[in-house]
Amino acid sequence: MNTVSVTGLCKEYPEFRLREVSFELEPGKITGFIGRNGAGKSTTIKAMLNLVHKSGGEVEYFGMPLIGNEAAIKRRIGYSTGTIGWYPRKTIREIKNITKNFYPNWDEEAYRKYLSLFDLDESKKPIQLSEGMKVKCNLLLAISHRAEVLILDEPTSGLDPFSRDELLEIFEKLRDEGTTIFFSTHITSDIEKCADNIIYIAGGEIRANCPKAEFEEKFGNSGETLEETFLRLERSFR
Amino acid sequence: MRALLYKEMRLAASPLSYFFIAFALMTLIPGYPILCGVFFITLGLFQSYQNGREANDIIYTALLPVAKQDIVKGKYGFALLIELSGFGVMALLTLLRMTVFSGSSIYRGNALMNANPFFLGMALVIFGFFNLIFIGGYFKTGYQFARYFVPYIIVAFVIIGIAEALHYFPGMSPLNAFGFEHILLQLGLLGAGALIFAGMTYLSYRKACANFELLDL
Repeated sequence: MNTVSVTGLCKEYPEFRLREVSFELEPGKITGFIGRNGAGKSTTIKAMLNLVHKSGGEVEYFGMPLIGNEAAIKRRIGYSTGTIGWYPRKTIREIKNITKNFYPNWDEEAYRKYLSLFDLDESKKPIQLSEGMKVKCNLLLAISHRAEVLILDEPTSGLDPFSRDELLEIFEKLRDEGTTIFFSTHITSDIEKCADNIIYIAGGEIRANCPKAEFEEKFGNSGETLEETFLRLERSFR
Repeated sequence: MRALLYKEMRLAASPLSYFFIAFALMTLIPGYPILCGVFFITLGLFQSYQNGREANDIIYTALLPVAKQDIVKGKYGFALLIELSGFGVMALLTLLRMTVFSGSSIYRGNALMNANPFFLGMALVIFGFFNLIFIGGYFKTGYQFARYFVPYIIVAFVIIGIAEALHYFPGMSPLNAFGFEHILLQLGLLGAGALIFAGMTYLSYRKACANFELLDL
């Protein structure tokens, strides 16, 4: 059984359409969701979390439809988005103390471990954090309840190369522990470094969905880097 | 629900929502339109919505393991907590004015509304309109609140004006009863106010749940 299954997901905006997006996430794998700005990555992710009202399609987690099982499913997944600061004038400690009440599986030990790994001071407020530290703070809250699936919207944006590298290593570690990771990005080196599978979206449509090696074999030209492949594909879809 | 209410109180609420409960003390001010205290309590609640928007509270809550409808429930729960706390203080002070101070000349010579069960009923009606117009309106977008607060202000002050002056109309003097005069009529009016409050809040909540479910956050 796949951990997450998205079938025929559609969302219509006056100037943009997400068309019949379908994919499945393999358990214990890292899937990179790549596409240029405005390709539909965030809309897909928001629809996967019921943050936007989909025009059609189904989203299932652990064999259960999201609609009707939202609370039970969200207890088992974690979500983090780039640099949004939640409750900018509350301390990280205050936010954590409230957040953990919602998760029976909250892991204080893991929280402490990542807090130290990310070099975060829990007496600080999001408003006092740099953009990169905000990303880490959001991620910290998303991974401290032993989430089985992590859905991350551009988690590496705003991070310096060292922090990015550290973060991608954490993804690999979590994957090795059995966590399924789905992360959107427009940075090809992130995909190159740690993704097992690639889902490529352009113009609101899924253009490729396969293991990384297969993607390189199927779409790449000889001597071409992954970035060059994406750039060439993107131009061809315009 | 308990965790959500706690989250509302600790993360989303503005301290003003709590401080403004103290405006219920206006019930004791002689010669003052005491129903204005209700408006100030709702003004404190308004500040929490402003606070919540700045803090991206709605989206954060939507990502927690709760259904979308529970977010609405949490917001209504917090509003009810503040409103009923204010109402509780007003009820105690009203009881004080109806007993200990029932003969006080300073209150007897009051040109405006007297503190009695009718006053409490009208307070509940104003809270009901806040829930109906402002909170219900807020959940049409999840971020616009001034647009719904302005019509609420107008409605609240029209009600305050009418309620404060109603006892001058022919046959309406029992509305301004002192002590336990006309107590059955007074309690009936309080009961009617409570029913109106409950009805408006329930209708508003149901509509807000339906609207919020369709919103894109």
